[in-house]
Amino acid sequence: MSNFPQLIANGLVQGLFIAMAALAITLAFSIARFPNAATGDVMTAGAYTGLATQSATGSLILAGIVAIFTGAAISLAADRLVFRKLAGRAVVASLVASIGVAFVIRAVLGVTFGLSQLVYDIPLTRAKLYWGVRLTPLDLQVAGAVALALALVFGILHLTPIGRQMRAVADDRDLARVSGVRPERVMLALWMISGGVAGLAGMMLGIKTVVEPELGWSMLLPAFTAAILGGIGSPGGAVAAGLLLGVVQEMSTPFVGFNYKLAIAFAALLGVLLWRPSGLFGKREGVR
Amino acid sequence: MSLDIANITKNFGGMRVLDGVSLSVPTGSLFGLIGPNGAGKSTLFAAISGFQKQETGEVRLDGTRIDALTPHARARAGLVRTFQVPREFGHLTVRENLCAAAPNQTGESLLGLFFRPARVAREEAEIAAEAEEIMQRLRLTQVADQPARLLSGGQKKLLELGRALMLKPRFILLDEPFAGVNPVLIAEIAERIRDLNATGIGFLIIEHDLEALTRLTPYIAVLDRGRIIAEGAPDAVLADVQVREAYLGGAV
Repeated sequence: MSNFPQLIANGLVQGLFIAMAALAITLAFSIARFPNAATGDVMTAGAYTGLATQSATGSLILAGIVAIFTGAAISLAADRLVFRKLAGRAVVASLVASIGVAFVIRAVLGVTFGLSQLVYDIPLTRAKLYWGVRLTPLDLQVAGAVALALALVFGILHLTPIGRQMRAVADDRDLARVSGVRPERVMLALWMISGGVAGLAGMMLGIKTVVEPELGWSMLLPAFTAAILGGIGSPGGAVAAGLLLGVVQEMSTPFVGFNYKLAIAFAALLGVLLWRPSGLFGKREGVR
Repeated sequence: MSLDIANITKNFGGMRVLDGVSLSVPTGSLFGLIGPNGAGKSTLFAAISGFQKQETGEVRLDGTRIDALTPHARARAGLVRTFQVPREFGHLTVRENLCAAAPNQTGESLLGLFFRPARVAREEAEIAAEAEEIMQRLRLTQVADQPARLLSGGQKKLLELGRALMLKPRFILLDEPFAGVNPVLIAEIAERIRDLNATGIGFLIIEHDLEALTRLTPYIAVLDRGRIIAEGAPDAVLADVQVREAYLGGAV
Protein backbone atom coordinates (compact mmCIF):
# COMPACT_ATOMS: atom_id res chain seq x y z
CA MET A 1 0.00 0.00 0.00
CA SER A 2 1.26 3.44 -0.83
CA ASN A 3 0.63 6.47 1.24
CA PHE A 4 -0.37 8.97 -1.40
CA PRO A 5 -0.53 12.08 0.80
CA GLN A 6 3.02 11.23 1.89
CA LEU A 7 4.13 10.88 -1.71
CA ILE A 8 2.51 14.18 -2.60
CA ALA A 9 4.30 15.91 0.26
CA ASN A 10 7.64 14.37 -0.74
CA GLY A 11 6.93 15.36 -4.30
CA LEU A 12 6.26 18.96 -3.33
CA VAL A 13 9.55 19.15 -1.44
CA GLN A 14 11.34 17.60 -4.41
CA GLY A 15 9.37 19.88 -6.70
CA LEU A 16 10.65 22.98 -4.95
CA PHE A 17 14.19 22.16 -6.12
CA ILE A 18 12.99 21.53 -9.65
CA ALA A 19 11.00 24.75 -9.47
CA MET A 20 14.01 26.81 -8.48
CA ALA A 21 16.22 25.28 -11.16
CA ALA A 22 13.46 25.78 -13.74
CA LEU A 23 13.06 29.40 -12.61
CA ALA A 24 16.77 30.03 -13.12
CA ILE A 25 16.58 28.46 -16.59
CA THR A 26 13.43 30.22 -17.69
CA LEU A 27 14.67 33.66 -16.57
CA ALA A 28 17.89 33.22 -18.53
CA PHE A 29 15.94 31.95 -21.51
CA SER A 30 13.50 34.82 -21.63
CA ILE A 31 16.16 37.52 -21.38
CA ALA A 32 19.45 36.07 -22.67
CA ARG A 33 17.55 33.87 -25.15
CA PHE A 34 19.24 30.52 -24.80
CA PRO A 35 18.76 27.38 -22.69
CA ASN A 36 21.56 27.60 -20.15
CA ALA A 37 22.81 24.06 -19.57
CA ALA A 38 25.33 25.36 -17.01
CA THR A 39 22.47 25.97 -14.56
CA GLY A 40 22.84 22.49 -13.06
CA ASP A 41 26.53 22.88 -12.32
CA VAL A 42 25.98 26.34 -10.88
CA MET A 43 23.70 24.51 -8.45
CA THR A 44 26.45 22.03 -7.68
CA ALA A 45 28.84 24.91 -7.01
CA GLY A 46 26.33 26.38 -4.57
CA ALA A 47 26.08 23.02 -2.80
CA TYR A 48 29.86 22.70 -2.39
CA THR A 49 30.61 26.27 -1.34
CA GLY A 50 27.67 26.20 1.04
CA LEU A 51 28.99 22.98 2.53
CA ALA A 52 32.49 24.43 2.92
CA THR A 53 31.09 27.52 4.60
CA GLN A 54 28.90 25.51 6.91
CA SER A 55 31.72 23.25 8.03
CA ALA A 56 33.99 26.26 8.55
CA THR A 57 31.54 28.47 10.42
CA GLY A 58 28.73 26.18 11.47
CA SER A 59 26.18 28.65 10.17
CA LEU A 60 23.64 27.47 7.63
CA ILE A 61 22.44 31.01 7.01
CA LEU A 62 25.95 32.16 6.15
CA ALA A 63 26.27 29.05 3.97
CA GLY A 64 23.10 30.04 2.13
CA ILE A 65 24.42 33.54 1.50
CA VAL A 66 27.72 32.17 0.21
CA ALA A 67 25.88 29.71 -2.05
CA ILE A 68 23.78 32.54 -3.50
CA PHE A 69 26.79 34.75 -4.14
CA THR A 70 28.79 31.86 -5.60
CA GLY A 71 26.01 31.10 -8.07
CA ALA A 72 25.67 34.76 -8.98
CA ALA A 73 29.43 35.25 -9.39
CA ILE A 74 29.89 32.16 -11.56
CA SER A 75 26.95 33.14 -13.76
CA LEU A 76 28.23 36.69 -14.15
CA ALA A 77 31.69 35.40 -15.04
CA ALA A 78 30.28 32.91 -17.55
CA ASP A 79 28.29 35.72 -19.14
CA ARG A 80 31.23 38.07 -19.35
CA LEU A 81 33.71 35.45 -20.62
CA VAL A 82 31.49 33.36 -22.87
CA PHE A 83 27.79 34.09 -23.31
CA ARG A 84 28.12 37.80 -24.06
CA LYS A 85 30.56 37.06 -26.85
CA LEU A 86 28.05 34.73 -28.50
CA ALA A 87 25.04 37.01 -28.17
CA GLY A 88 23.34 37.54 -31.50
CA ARG A 89 24.63 34.24 -32.92
CA ALA A 90 22.58 31.07 -33.29
CA VAL A 91 20.97 29.80 -30.08
CA VAL A 92 22.76 26.47 -30.59
CA ALA A 93 26.13 28.21 -30.24
CA SER A 94 25.19 29.54 -26.80
CA LEU A 95 23.64 26.22 -25.76
CA VAL A 96 26.76 24.24 -26.68
CA ALA A 97 28.95 26.87 -25.02
CA SER A 98 26.87 26.58 -21.85
CA ILE A 99 27.44 22.81 -21.85
CA GLY A 100 31.15 23.59 -22.04
CA VAL A 101 30.82 26.03 -19.16
CA ALA A 102 29.04 23.28 -17.20
CA PHE A 103 31.97 20.89 -17.67
CA VAL A 104 34.48 23.56 -16.68
CA ILE A 105 32.57 24.31 -13.46
CA ARG A 106 32.34 20.60 -12.65
CA ALA A 107 36.05 20.08 -13.30
CA VAL A 108 37.01 22.99 -11.05
CA LEU A 109 34.71 21.70 -8.31
CA GLY A 110 36.13 18.18 -8.69
CA VAL A 111 39.71 19.44 -8.32
CA THR A 112 38.81 21.66 -5.37
CA PHE A 113 36.51 19.43 -3.38
CA GLY A 114 37.27 15.93 -4.64
CA LEU A 115 34.88 13.47 -6.24
CA SER A 116 33.53 11.62 -3.21
CA GLN A 117 30.09 12.15 -1.75
CA LEU A 118 29.84 14.63 1.08
CA VAL A 119 26.98 15.47 3.41
CA TYR A 120 26.00 18.55 5.33
CA ASP A 121 26.63 18.09 9.02
CA ILE A 122 23.15 18.62 10.33
CA PRO A 123 21.79 17.02 13.48
CA LEU A 124 19.26 14.33 12.69
CA THR A 125 15.77 15.27 13.65
CA ARG A 126 12.77 13.15 14.20
CA ALA A 127 10.04 13.37 11.61
CA LYS A 128 6.67 14.54 12.85
CA LEU A 129 3.27 13.66 11.63
CA TYR A 130 1.24 16.41 10.05
CA TRP A 131 -2.21 15.21 9.05
CA GLY A 132 -0.81 11.76 8.42
CA VAL A 133 2.17 13.03 6.47
CA ARG A 134 5.60 12.43 7.88
CA LEU A 135 7.90 15.45 7.50
CA THR A 136 11.12 16.40 9.25
CA PRO A 137 11.64 19.92 10.57
CA LEU A 138 14.47 20.11 8.05
CA ASP A 139 12.00 19.50 5.20
CA LEU A 140 9.89 22.37 6.45
CA GLN A 141 12.88 24.67 6.89
CA VAL A 142 14.16 23.92 3.39
CA ALA A 143 10.70 24.43 1.96
CA GLY A 144 10.35 27.69 3.86
CA ALA A 145 13.71 28.99 2.64
CA VAL A 146 12.90 28.09 -0.95
CA ALA A 147 9.48 29.70 -0.69
CA LEU A 148 11.09 32.84 0.69
CA ALA A 149 13.61 32.92 -2.16
CA LEU A 150 10.84 32.48 -4.72
CA ALA A 151 8.82 35.27 -3.13
CA LEU A 152 11.86 37.53 -3.24
CA VAL A 153 12.48 36.82 -6.94
CA PHE A 154 8.85 37.43 -7.85
CA GLY A 155 8.85 40.57 -5.75
CA ILE A 156 11.84 41.87 -7.66
CA LEU A 157 10.29 40.95 -11.00
CA HIS A 158 6.91 42.53 -10.35
CA LEU A 159 7.43 45.31 -7.85
CA THR A 160 10.72 46.97 -8.73
CA PRO A 161 12.11 49.09 -11.57
CA ILE A 162 14.77 46.55 -12.55
CA GLY A 163 12.19 43.77 -12.56
CA ARG A 164 9.94 45.84 -14.80
CA GLN A 165 12.84 46.39 -17.17
CA MET A 166 13.73 42.69 -17.13
CA ARG A 167 10.18 41.82 -18.09
CA ALA A 168 10.25 44.54 -20.74
CA VAL A 169 13.41 43.10 -22.30
CA ALA A 170 11.84 39.63 -22.19
CA ASP A 171 8.83 40.96 -24.11
CA ASP A 172 10.64 43.00 -26.77
CA ARG A 173 14.35 43.62 -26.59
CA ASP A 174 14.52 46.23 -29.38
CA LEU A 175 11.61 48.18 -28.00
CA ALA A 176 13.32 48.16 -24.61
CA ARG A 177 16.42 49.62 -26.18
CA VAL A 178 14.55 52.50 -27.81
CA SER A 179 12.78 53.05 -24.50
CA GLY A 180 16.13 53.85 -22.92
CA VAL A 181 16.49 50.54 -21.05
CA ARG A 182 20.19 49.76 -20.60
CA PRO A 183 20.68 46.15 -21.68
CA GLU A 184 23.88 45.67 -19.69
CA ARG A 185 22.11 46.57 -16.44
CA VAL A 186 19.36 44.10 -17.20
CA MET A 187 21.83 41.33 -18.05
CA LEU A 188 23.74 42.00 -14.85
CA ALA A 189 20.57 41.67 -12.77
CA LEU A 190 19.46 38.62 -14.74
CA TRP A 191 22.66 36.64 -14.12
CA MET A 192 22.81 37.66 -10.48
CA ILE A 193 19.24 36.51 -9.88
CA SER A 194 19.37 33.40 -12.04
CA GLY A 195 22.77 32.37 -10.61
CA GLY A 196 21.75 33.19 -7.05
CA VAL A 197 18.59 31.11 -7.35
CA ALA A 198 20.55 28.18 -8.81
CA GLY A 199 23.24 28.41 -6.12
CA LEU A 200 20.70 28.41 -3.31
CA ALA A 201 18.73 25.59 -4.93
CA GLY A 202 21.90 23.51 -5.12
CA MET A 203 22.70 24.04 -1.48
CA MET A 204 19.18 23.15 -0.40
CA LEU A 205 19.28 20.02 -2.54
CA GLY A 206 22.67 19.19 -1.04
CA ILE A 207 21.24 19.50 2.47
CA LYS A 208 18.34 17.24 1.53
CA THR A 209 20.44 14.62 -0.24
CA VAL A 210 24.20 14.27 -0.71
CA VAL A 211 26.68 16.67 -2.24
CA GLU A 212 28.40 15.09 -5.21
CA PRO A 213 29.68 16.31 -8.57
CA GLU A 214 26.57 15.19 -10.49
CA LEU A 215 24.12 16.85 -8.09
CA GLY A 216 23.05 19.67 -10.36
CA TRP A 217 23.62 17.96 -13.68
CA SER A 218 21.08 15.28 -12.79
CA MET A 219 18.53 18.03 -12.06
CA LEU A 220 18.84 19.50 -15.55
CA LEU A 221 16.37 17.23 -17.31
CA PRO A 222 13.53 17.70 -14.81
CA ALA A 223 14.34 21.42 -14.66
CA PHE A 224 14.22 21.87 -18.42
CA THR A 225 11.05 19.80 -18.50
CA ALA A 226 9.45 22.09 -15.93
CA ALA A 227 10.63 25.22 -17.77
CA ILE A 228 9.06 23.98 -21.01
CA LEU A 229 6.00 22.60 -19.25
CA GLY A 230 5.42 26.00 -17.64
CA GLY A 231 5.64 27.77 -20.99
CA ILE A 232 9.25 28.74 -21.50
CA GLY A 233 9.94 32.29 -20.39
CA SER A 234 7.16 32.27 -17.80
CA PRO A 235 8.60 32.34 -14.25
CA GLY A 236 5.27 31.55 -12.60
CA GLY A 237 4.68 28.68 -15.00
CA ALA A 238 8.14 27.26 -14.32
CA VAL A 239 7.55 27.17 -10.58
CA ALA A 240 4.08 25.64 -10.90
CA ALA A 241 5.32 23.05 -13.38
CA GLY A 242 8.32 22.26 -11.16
CA LEU A 243 6.05 21.46 -8.24
CA LEU A 244 3.76 19.44 -10.47
CA LEU A 245 6.63 17.48 -11.92
CA GLY A 246 8.01 16.76 -8.45
CA VAL A 247 4.67 15.33 -7.41
CA VAL A 248 4.26 13.31 -10.60
CA GLN A 249 7.73 11.82 -10.18
CA GLU A 250 7.08 10.82 -6.58
CA MET A 251 3.62 9.48 -7.29
CA SER A 252 5.01 7.29 -10.03
CA THR A 253 7.65 5.60 -7.89
CA PRO A 254 5.35 2.91 -6.46
CA PHE A 255 4.53 1.92 -10.04
CA VAL A 256 7.80 2.28 -11.91
CA GLY A 257 10.37 2.32 -9.14
CA PHE A 258 12.80 4.90 -7.91
CA ASN A 259 15.33 4.36 -10.69
CA TYR A 260 12.95 5.42 -13.41
CA LYS A 261 11.95 8.80 -11.98
CA LEU A 262 14.01 10.56 -14.63
CA ALA A 263 12.30 8.55 -17.32
CA ILE A 264 9.00 9.96 -16.07
CA ALA A 265 10.37 13.47 -16.45
CA PHE A 266 11.54 12.65 -19.93
CA ALA A 267 8.18 11.16 -20.88
CA ALA A 268 6.45 14.27 -19.54
CA LEU A 269 8.80 16.45 -21.59
CA LEU A 270 8.08 14.47 -24.76
CA GLY A 271 4.37 14.59 -24.08
CA VAL A 272 4.40 18.35 -23.65
CA LEU A 273 6.52 18.94 -26.72
CA LEU A 274 4.12 16.85 -28.79
CA TRP A 275 0.79 18.03 -27.41
CA ARG A 276 1.32 21.42 -25.82
CA PRO A 277 4.41 22.97 -27.39
CA SER A 278 3.65 26.32 -25.76
CA GLY A 279 3.43 24.78 -22.29
CA LEU A 280 0.66 23.58 -20.04
CA PHE A 281 -0.53 27.07 -19.32
CA GLY A 282 -0.61 27.88 -23.00
CA LYS A 283 1.02 31.27 -22.81
CA ARG A 284 3.17 32.48 -25.64
CA GLU A 285 6.07 34.08 -23.85
CA GLY A 286 9.07 36.14 -24.72
CA VAL A 287 10.28 34.06 -27.60
CA ARG A 288 9.94 35.75 -30.97
CA MET B 1 19.39 73.67 -32.20
CA SER B 2 17.93 70.88 -34.25
CA LEU B 3 18.19 67.36 -35.56
CA ASP B 4 20.74 67.39 -38.35
CA ILE B 5 21.43 64.49 -40.63
CA ALA B 6 24.35 64.89 -42.99
CA ASN B 7 25.24 62.76 -45.97
CA ILE B 8 24.06 59.38 -44.69
CA THR B 9 24.71 56.38 -46.89
CA LYS B 10 23.70 52.79 -46.23
CA ASN B 11 24.15 49.67 -48.35
CA PHE B 12 22.36 46.37 -48.04
CA GLY B 13 24.40 43.83 -49.94
CA GLY B 14 25.13 45.55 -53.23
CA MET B 15 22.09 47.81 -52.95
CA ARG B 16 22.54 51.42 -51.97
CA VAL B 17 19.48 52.08 -49.85
CA LEU B 18 20.46 55.53 -48.58
CA ASP B 19 22.53 57.62 -50.93
CA GLY B 20 23.84 60.69 -49.19
CA VAL B 21 20.74 61.80 -47.30
CA SER B 22 20.94 65.18 -45.60
CA LEU B 23 18.10 66.73 -43.67
CA SER B 24 17.92 69.53 -41.19
CA VAL B 25 14.92 69.37 -38.89
CA PRO B 26 14.58 72.47 -36.71
CA THR B 27 13.79 72.16 -33.02
CA GLY B 28 10.11 71.99 -32.29
CA SER B 29 9.07 71.48 -35.87
CA LEU B 30 6.53 69.18 -37.42
CA PHE B 31 8.40 67.65 -40.31
CA GLY B 32 6.90 65.11 -42.72
CA LEU B 33 8.89 62.54 -44.65
CA ILE B 34 7.23 60.85 -47.61
CA GLY B 35 8.36 58.62 -50.42
CA PRO B 36 7.36 55.52 -52.36
CA ASN B 37 7.75 52.04 -50.86
CA GLY B 38 11.37 51.01 -50.72
CA ALA B 39 12.62 54.59 -50.86
CA GLY B 40 14.60 54.01 -47.66
CA LYS B 41 12.43 55.88 -45.15
CA SER B 42 12.44 53.23 -42.44
CA THR B 43 16.13 52.56 -43.03
CA LEU B 44 16.78 56.25 -42.48
CA PHE B 45 14.90 56.05 -39.16
CA ALA B 46 16.91 52.98 -38.21
CA ALA B 47 20.14 54.84 -38.95
CA ILE B 48 19.09 57.92 -37.01
CA SER B 49 17.95 55.91 -33.99
CA GLY B 50 20.99 53.65 -34.00
CA PHE B 51 19.48 50.35 -35.12
CA GLN B 52 21.44 50.31 -38.38
CA LYS B 53 25.01 51.40 -38.65
CA GLN B 54 25.33 53.77 -41.58
CA GLU B 55 28.35 53.55 -43.89
CA THR B 56 29.00 57.28 -43.89
CA GLY B 57 27.36 60.38 -42.53
CA GLU B 58 26.63 62.14 -39.29
CA VAL B 59 23.64 62.54 -37.01
CA ARG B 60 23.62 65.53 -34.68
CA LEU B 61 21.13 66.38 -31.99
CA ASP B 62 21.35 70.02 -30.99
CA GLY B 63 24.80 70.15 -32.51
CA THR B 64 26.17 67.10 -30.63
CA ARG B 65 27.14 64.09 -32.68
CA ILE B 66 25.13 61.06 -31.60
CA ASP B 67 25.84 58.64 -34.45
CA ALA B 68 28.29 56.57 -32.40
CA LEU B 69 25.86 56.09 -29.48
CA THR B 70 23.88 52.92 -28.79
CA PRO B 71 20.10 53.03 -29.38
CA HIS B 72 19.29 53.34 -25.66
CA ALA B 73 21.84 56.12 -25.22
CA ARG B 74 20.25 58.04 -28.11
CA ALA B 75 16.85 57.53 -26.52
CA ARG B 76 18.15 58.92 -23.26
CA ALA B 77 19.74 61.84 -25.12
CA GLY B 78 16.26 62.84 -26.21
CA LEU B 79 15.80 61.20 -29.60
CA VAL B 80 13.06 58.60 -29.46
CA ARG B 81 11.52 56.54 -32.24
CA THR B 82 8.37 54.50 -32.68
CA PHE B 83 7.90 51.51 -34.95
CA GLN B 84 5.82 51.14 -38.11
CA VAL B 85 3.89 48.23 -36.63
CA PRO B 86 3.12 49.35 -33.09
CA ARG B 87 5.10 47.41 -30.50
CA GLU B 88 4.43 47.08 -26.82
CA PHE B 89 5.64 45.13 -23.82
CA GLY B 90 2.70 42.77 -24.12
CA HIS B 91 2.77 41.22 -20.66
CA LEU B 92 3.27 44.52 -18.87
CA THR B 93 0.32 46.73 -18.07
CA VAL B 94 -0.08 50.05 -19.86
CA ARG B 95 1.18 51.76 -16.72
CA GLU B 96 4.22 49.49 -16.51
CA ASN B 97 4.91 50.04 -20.20
CA LEU B 98 5.27 53.73 -19.48
CA CYS B 99 7.25 53.34 -16.24
CA ALA B 100 9.71 50.94 -17.87
CA ALA B 101 10.75 53.78 -20.16
CA ALA B 102 11.62 56.27 -17.43
CA PRO B 103 15.30 57.15 -17.64
CA ASN B 104 17.90 57.06 -14.86
CA GLN B 105 16.18 55.04 -12.18
CA THR B 106 18.19 54.13 -9.10
CA GLY B 107 16.19 50.92 -8.92
CA GLU B 108 17.60 49.87 -12.28
CA SER B 109 20.32 47.99 -10.47
CA LEU B 110 20.00 45.40 -7.72
CA LEU B 111 22.51 47.35 -5.63
CA GLY B 112 20.43 50.51 -5.85
CA LEU B 113 17.36 48.50 -5.00
CA PHE B 114 18.78 47.00 -1.81
CA PHE B 115 20.92 49.84 -0.56
CA ARG B 116 18.88 52.92 -1.43
CA PRO B 117 15.29 51.76 -0.99
CA ALA B 118 14.03 55.17 0.13
CA ARG B 119 15.39 56.86 -2.95
CA VAL B 120 13.97 54.12 -5.19
CA ALA B 121 10.56 54.57 -3.57
CA ARG B 122 10.67 58.35 -4.07
CA GLU B 123 11.65 57.98 -7.72
CA GLU B 124 8.97 55.37 -8.24
CA ALA B 125 6.37 57.79 -6.94
CA GLU B 126 7.60 60.49 -9.31
CA ILE B 127 7.62 58.11 -12.25
CA ALA B 128 4.13 56.88 -11.40
CA ALA B 129 2.85 60.46 -11.27
CA GLU B 130 4.44 61.21 -14.61
CA ALA B 131 2.94 58.09 -16.16
CA GLU B 132 -0.44 59.09 -14.76
CA GLU B 133 -0.22 62.51 -16.33
CA ILE B 134 0.79 61.11 -19.71
CA MET B 135 -2.02 58.56 -19.62
CA GLN B 136 -4.46 61.35 -18.94
CA ARG B 137 -3.10 63.44 -21.76
CA LEU B 138 -3.35 60.50 -24.16
CA ARG B 139 -6.70 59.29 -22.77
CA LEU B 140 -5.27 55.94 -21.72
CA THR B 141 -6.23 56.15 -18.04
CA GLN B 142 -9.13 53.72 -18.31
CA VAL B 143 -6.85 50.96 -19.64
CA ALA B 144 -3.96 51.75 -17.26
CA ASP B 145 -3.89 48.34 -15.59
CA GLN B 146 -4.63 46.20 -18.61
CA PRO B 147 -1.88 44.12 -20.19
CA ALA B 148 -0.76 46.14 -23.21
CA ARG B 149 -1.25 43.23 -25.60
CA LEU B 150 -5.01 43.58 -25.17
CA LEU B 151 -5.14 47.17 -26.46
CA SER B 152 -6.66 48.09 -29.82
CA GLY B 153 -4.37 49.11 -32.66
CA GLY B 154 -5.06 52.79 -32.14
CA GLN B 155 -4.50 52.60 -28.39
CA LYS B 156 -1.18 50.88 -29.05
CA LYS B 157 -0.17 53.83 -31.23
CA LEU B 158 -1.01 56.18 -28.38
CA LEU B 159 0.90 53.96 -25.98
CA GLU B 160 3.96 54.20 -28.23
CA LEU B 161 3.67 57.94 -28.09
CA GLY B 162 3.30 57.79 -24.31
CA ARG B 163 6.35 55.58 -23.91
CA ALA B 164 8.32 58.06 -25.99
CA LEU B 165 7.10 60.92 -23.79
CA MET B 166 8.35 59.26 -20.61
CA LEU B 167 11.88 59.84 -21.88
CA LYS B 168 11.25 63.60 -22.04
CA PRO B 169 12.34 63.67 -25.66
CA ARG B 170 13.35 66.66 -27.75
CA PHE B 171 12.60 64.76 -30.94
CA ILE B 172 10.26 61.93 -31.73
CA LEU B 173 10.58 59.90 -34.92
CA LEU B 174 7.13 58.58 -35.78
CA ASP B 175 7.01 55.71 -38.27
CA GLU B 176 3.56 55.74 -39.89
CA PRO B 177 1.46 56.84 -36.93
CA PHE B 178 -1.75 56.68 -38.98
CA ALA B 179 -1.27 53.30 -40.70
CA GLY B 180 -4.16 50.95 -39.98
CA VAL B 181 -5.95 53.47 -37.78
CA ASN B 182 -9.57 54.49 -38.39
CA PRO B 183 -10.27 58.09 -39.48
CA VAL B 184 -11.69 59.19 -36.12
CA LEU B 185 -8.62 57.99 -34.29
CA ILE B 186 -6.34 59.52 -36.95
CA ALA B 187 -7.80 62.91 -36.07
CA GLU B 188 -7.29 62.21 -32.39
CA ILE B 189 -3.69 61.05 -32.78
CA ALA B 190 -2.97 64.10 -34.96
CA GLU B 191 -4.48 66.27 -32.26
CA ARG B 192 -2.26 64.69 -29.60
CA ILE B 193 0.81 65.18 -31.80
CA ARG B 194 -0.11 68.85 -32.27
CA ASP B 195 -0.55 69.28 -28.48
CA LEU B 196 2.85 67.74 -27.81
CA ASN B 197 4.46 69.82 -30.52
CA ALA B 198 3.07 72.90 -28.83
CA THR B 199 5.12 71.94 -25.75
CA GLY B 200 8.29 72.14 -27.82
CA ILE B 201 8.85 68.56 -28.93
CA GLY B 202 9.97 68.18 -32.53
CA PHE B 203 8.50 65.48 -34.78
CA LEU B 204 9.85 63.78 -37.87
CA ILE B 205 6.98 61.76 -39.29
CA ILE B 206 6.96 59.07 -41.96
CA GLU B 207 3.46 58.63 -43.34
CA HIS B 208 1.77 57.20 -46.41
CA ASP B 209 -1.53 58.95 -45.80
CA LEU B 210 -0.57 62.16 -47.58
CA GLU B 211 -3.80 63.94 -46.79
CA ALA B 212 -3.56 63.35 -43.05
CA LEU B 213 0.13 64.13 -43.05
CA THR B 214 -0.04 67.41 -44.96
CA ARG B 215 -2.86 68.57 -42.73
CA LEU B 216 -0.49 68.05 -39.79
CA THR B 217 2.95 69.04 -41.03
CA PRO B 218 3.68 72.42 -42.63
CA TYR B 219 6.92 71.13 -44.09
CA ILE B 220 7.70 67.88 -45.89
CA ALA B 221 10.62 66.20 -47.60
CA VAL B 222 10.50 63.50 -50.25
CA LEU B 223 12.83 60.52 -50.22
CA ASP B 224 13.17 58.54 -53.45
CA ARG B 225 15.65 55.74 -54.07
CA GLY B 226 17.73 56.82 -51.13
CA ARG B 227 17.90 60.52 -52.01
CA ILE B 228 16.01 63.58 -50.90
CA ILE B 229 14.51 64.88 -54.14
CA ALA B 230 12.46 67.76 -52.80
CA GLU B 231 11.51 69.54 -49.61
CA GLY B 232 9.38 72.48 -48.69
CA ALA B 233 5.75 73.36 -48.11
CA PRO B 234 3.46 70.41 -49.00
CA ASP B 235 1.66 72.18 -51.87
CA ALA B 236 4.86 73.18 -53.59
CA VAL B 237 6.51 69.81 -53.03
CA LEU B 238 3.56 67.80 -54.28
CA ALA B 239 3.36 69.99 -57.36
CA ASP B 240 6.98 69.25 -58.21
CA VAL B 241 7.22 67.24 -61.42
CA GLN B 242 10.04 65.06 -60.15
CA VAL B 243 8.06 64.22 -57.05
CA ARG B 244 4.94 63.39 -59.00
CA GLU B 245 6.93 61.04 -61.22
CA ALA B 246 8.66 59.33 -58.33
CA TYR B 247 5.78 59.18 -55.95
CA LEU B 248 2.81 58.69 -58.20
CA GLY B 249 4.67 56.55 -60.72
CA GLY B 250 4.43 59.23 -63.37
CA ALA B 251 0.62 59.25 -63.32
CA VAL B 252 0.53 63.00 -63.67
